[in-house]
Amino acid sequence: MTLTTQGTGGQVAEEAPPALEITNAWKSFGHVSALRGVSLTVRGGEVLALVGDNGAGKSTLVKVLSGVYPVDSGNITIAGVPLERADPRLARSRGISTVFQDLAVVETLDIAANVFLGQPLRRFGIFADRKQMISQSAAILRSLKVRVPSVRVAAGELSGGQRQGVAIARAVRQDNPIILMDEPTAALGVRETAQVGEIIRSLREHGKAVILVCHDLEFIFAHADRIQVLRLGQVQGVRDVSATTRTEIVSLITGAIARDVDGEVSE
Amino acid sequence: MSTPQEQNKKTTTDALAPTLSTSDVDLADLDVSLIKRVVMSPSFALSVAIGLFVIFGLTQSPQFANPQAWINILRDATLIAMPAAFACIVLVSGGLDLSVGSVLVAGAMASAAVASAGLGAGTAFLAGTVVGAVIGLINGFFVNFAKIPPIIVTLGSLFAVRAAVVASTGGNPIGPLPDDFTFWGQGDIFGVPIVIMVGLVAVVAAHIVLSQTNYGWSIRAIGGNLIAARSAGIAVRKVSISVYVLSGTAAAFTGVVLAARLGSGSPTFGQGYELQVIAAAVIGGTSIYGAIGTVPGAALGALLLSVLSNGLVLLKIDPTWQNFVIGVVLVAAAGLDVFRRRQMFRVSAKRTAASRKVSS
Ligand SMILES: Nc1ncnc2c1ncn2[C@@H]1O[C@H](COP(=O)(O)OP(=O)(O)OP(=O)(O)O)[C@@H](O)[C@H]1O
Ligand SMILES: [Mg+2]
Repeated sequence: MTLTTQGTGGQVAEEAPPALEITNAWKSFGHVSALRGVSLTVRGGEVLALVGDNGAGKSTLVKVLSGVYPVDSGNITIAGVPLERADPRLARSRGISTVFQDLAVVETLDIAANVFLGQPLRRFGIFADRKQMISQSAAILRSLKVRVPSVRVAAGELSGGQRQGVAIARAVRQDNPIILMDEPTAALGVRETAQVGEIIRSLREHGKAVILVCHDLEFIFAHADRIQVLRLGQVQGVRDVSATTRTEIVSLITGAIARDVDGEVSE
Repeated sequence: MSTPQEQNKKTTTDALAPTLSTSDVDLADLDVSLIKRVVMSPSFALSVAIGLFVIFGLTQSPQFANPQAWINILRDATLIAMPAAFACIVLVSGGLDLSVGSVLVAGAMASAAVASAGLGAGTAFLAGTVVGAVIGLINGFFVNFAKIPPIIVTLGSLFAVRAAVVASTGGNPIGPLPDDFTFWGQGDIFGVPIVIMVGLVAVVAAHIVLSQTNYGWSIRAIGGNLIAARSAGIAVRKVSISVYVLSGTAAAFTGVVLAARLGSGSPTFGQGYELQVIAAAVIGGTSIYGAIGTVPGAALGALLLSVLSNGLVLLKIDPTWQNFVIGVVLVAAAGLDVFRRRQMFRVSAKRTAASRKVSS
């Protein structure tokens, strides 16, 4: 079942289930409680920004949503259908693509292999279709305006920004209805950041649900529809971009504004 | 190497584009880098080394031109190359298999027992090989589920498997073995020993698996970055377990072939064999840090070991020096690997070089 929600966010028919939803998620690593009852909803054609201090639990939430970590408790549904176990391959086949904060690039493989990592093109079922992977990855990187010397260069030889480009290319290529991006602009300069902004805008126009983890409030106010603030593993508040200010978001991040009950928008 | 036209196109169409690098895909550059890669590759260095040694040998002893000497050299090389090809695959996956010698003897003795019981060559080959696959499966299981480091798991099976073999055979050899079985180790077709042909097939198959299949790319991915591979949806445990199964199968199969060649199985087979096998893979450019290595390289490494051990005898050099030479070559090969890795991932230096279009 594919989600066919159209439009540019805002007034989507309320009956349609959200593209991705997680409710009351708990996750701890030993003594560290990374997520303490977090809920989140994102719809097709919407960009949801996830902000919070270092260690707030943003990356943990992204990894939980993409099937890398199992939750201790909580439920994930994709277009209304529960995701029954944590498995990156399952999550991807159900429509979730992820750009991880640590980029998940294999340094010893070339760019083409990295763009198609875990989802290679095949010939006769078992053979790698290198020709196609090389030409398609070159085309994708070109369309995303990521410049690399050659797609046959090992990813270990790339700059941080180029690696980021490869990681984004991998997620975008999968053409899934849901895209999670964990700090996709962290290693980028001004122009490259603008380019990622373009990519996010285009994903949104194509009706994708985008979750964007980012520390750059400028960027978020330019590209997001809603902002969800995490603090110490809990949802501090959720705001529509059109109805909030940078000051309010910063206050939520630092805890100067008290946590909303149930993470509801309080206006 | 870009023409002015290309330069123009770049500046107009990519006005928005990040200026992350100096040049776009450039065919001329690719050709240069291909030649450079071949010349810089361990396989090339190894071929040259073997060639030089043989040329030197030819000037010293006419025996080096004797076809029979070469058949011996190739047959010995085959018996190392078969397990080395799969040891290479294990190393590339980020693992290590020290149990090769013990699995080899287990395969040899199992097949010898079956063959001497008169159950036929086919059953004997199957029995020996299956024993290896099962031991490989156990190795892979402990590495991936109990999370015990591979060096310890396979060192454990090195001890345990040989002990089990010695205990179950009472330490006695099994033989002589029937002709239909020994034919596969001693026979030849058009003057070429079957052993060499079988080994060639196994090595070529291992090469195709590692370099051409998606499974092979997954092996290189998990050896390069396990976490990235896992989050990209590669079934890392399945892949990792499978390489131990392949390695066990290949080692046991080599044992079966050895029993067939010698006409009997002995519990002393394969003692210290794992070291030669790993040496061959590393000499052939396989990195002990994982992800990097080729099967043809490992096969050439095996050939070098065989050429050295046979060649030094032909040159009437004290065979004790063999191991000295092997030791030096091994450390040199590992040093080259470290150097190459550093070259490969020294980002800034690399990019500066690229921008200056220096080819050194
Ligand atoms: N694999 C792990 N093992 C142990 N603790 C972890 C692990 N991953 C995250 N944590 C802990 O969980 C908490 C949340 O980490 P997380 O990476 O989700 O934060 P974040 O909001 O993404 O921070 P940043 O902005 O720095 O990326 C931290 O206290 C961190 O130490
Ligand atoms: Mg993070």
